[in-house]
Amino acid sequence: MSDEPTVTPSRRRRVAPFIALAVAVLLAGLFVVLAGADASTDETAETPLLDRPAPEAVGELADGTTFDLARRKGDWVVLNFFQSSCVPCQQEHPDLVRFVEQQRALGPDGAKFYTVVYDDERPAVEEFFAEEGGDWPVVYDEDGSIAVGFGVAKVPETWIIDPNGIVRGRVISRVTADFLGSQLQVLQEQLS
Amino acid sequence: MSALKKWPAWVLLVFVVVAFLAVGATRDDGPSTPQERSDAIAQRVACPVCDGESVFESRNTASVNIRNRITELVNGGQASDDEIIADIEASFGGRILLVPKATGFDALVWALPVAALICAVAALAVTFRRWRRDAAAASDPTVEDRAMVAAALADEDP
Repeated sequence: MSDEPTVTPSRRRRVAPFIALAVAVLLAGLFVVLAGADASTDETAETPLLDRPAPEAVGELADGTTFDLARRKGDWVVLNFFQSSCVPCQQEHPDLVRFVEQQRALGPDGAKFYTVVYDDERPAVEEFFAEEGGDWPVVYDEDGSIAVGFGVAKVPETWIIDPNGIVRGRVISRVTADFLGSQLQVLQEQLS
Repeated sequence: MSALKKWPAWVLLVFVVVAFLAVGATRDDGPSTPQERSDAIAQRVACPVCDGESVFESRNTASVNIRNRITELVNGGQASDDEIIADIEASFGGRILLVPKATGFDALVWALPVAALICAVAALAVTFRRWRRDAAAASDPTVEDRAMVAAALADEDP
């Protein structure tokens, strides 16, 4: 009776490493998953649209005509998503005025600049431009389809599209004329 | 004795039948109208500017825009649910998905808990088996124990 099977230390030594290995693999997997997870506060300008054809963007211009991004091929296009009540949008506006002037000075080689209105009323937008300046085309995205196409959830955001209609850059938050101009120049040199 | 041995099988059978009946009786047949389908898809998409909310629940402008896009694609009748989700993901990236995909790296999110469960059950099984063996070994009297008891009983006998 005394020779009944019992758990010997050697048996434990055989089983323990496998259990430890399984636990270690699970912990390592969880670590990898959690380390690779996107933190909700870790906002970047990364976008799946980069170096891909720009999404469809059709809206109405202030004069009632239709804006269609697909018909702007041949030019560098800069889209700035804007809301008149957004403070960073207001802060960057003087820089945008300067940027547009710089691009117009370049003649046909200059980028074409468009404001895309994000969740705002026409009178508020018209009043803002009347007070702050800026005579470039303003696109009204009434149904939000342009914003969804570009994955825009906050403003301001600025997108750069090359003459072939490919998305080349995205800038989230406020931009300056110098930053935007230099980014555009770098992209133009890369693709020339 | 044989009836006692068989009862776990009967219990298991009854449990399985009841489970099937419960699932069958309460099973959701899925969305039946375009609006329900839009809502179901919207519940799988995260609000891009809020924490832990779907675009179905959120009243944020971005969420409203995404809901409009989903409704437009559903009403178009051309795209499947997964294609609509993929359309939104193509613009906003993978962070927009509330339910991780079951393929590629994201599949770890589904596989790891199952692996953990299997490991836990296996570990419990091994532990219980060991405890039972230890208990069995401890309850069996040794030769010395028997001799001691016999001696004690002999002492008590007149």
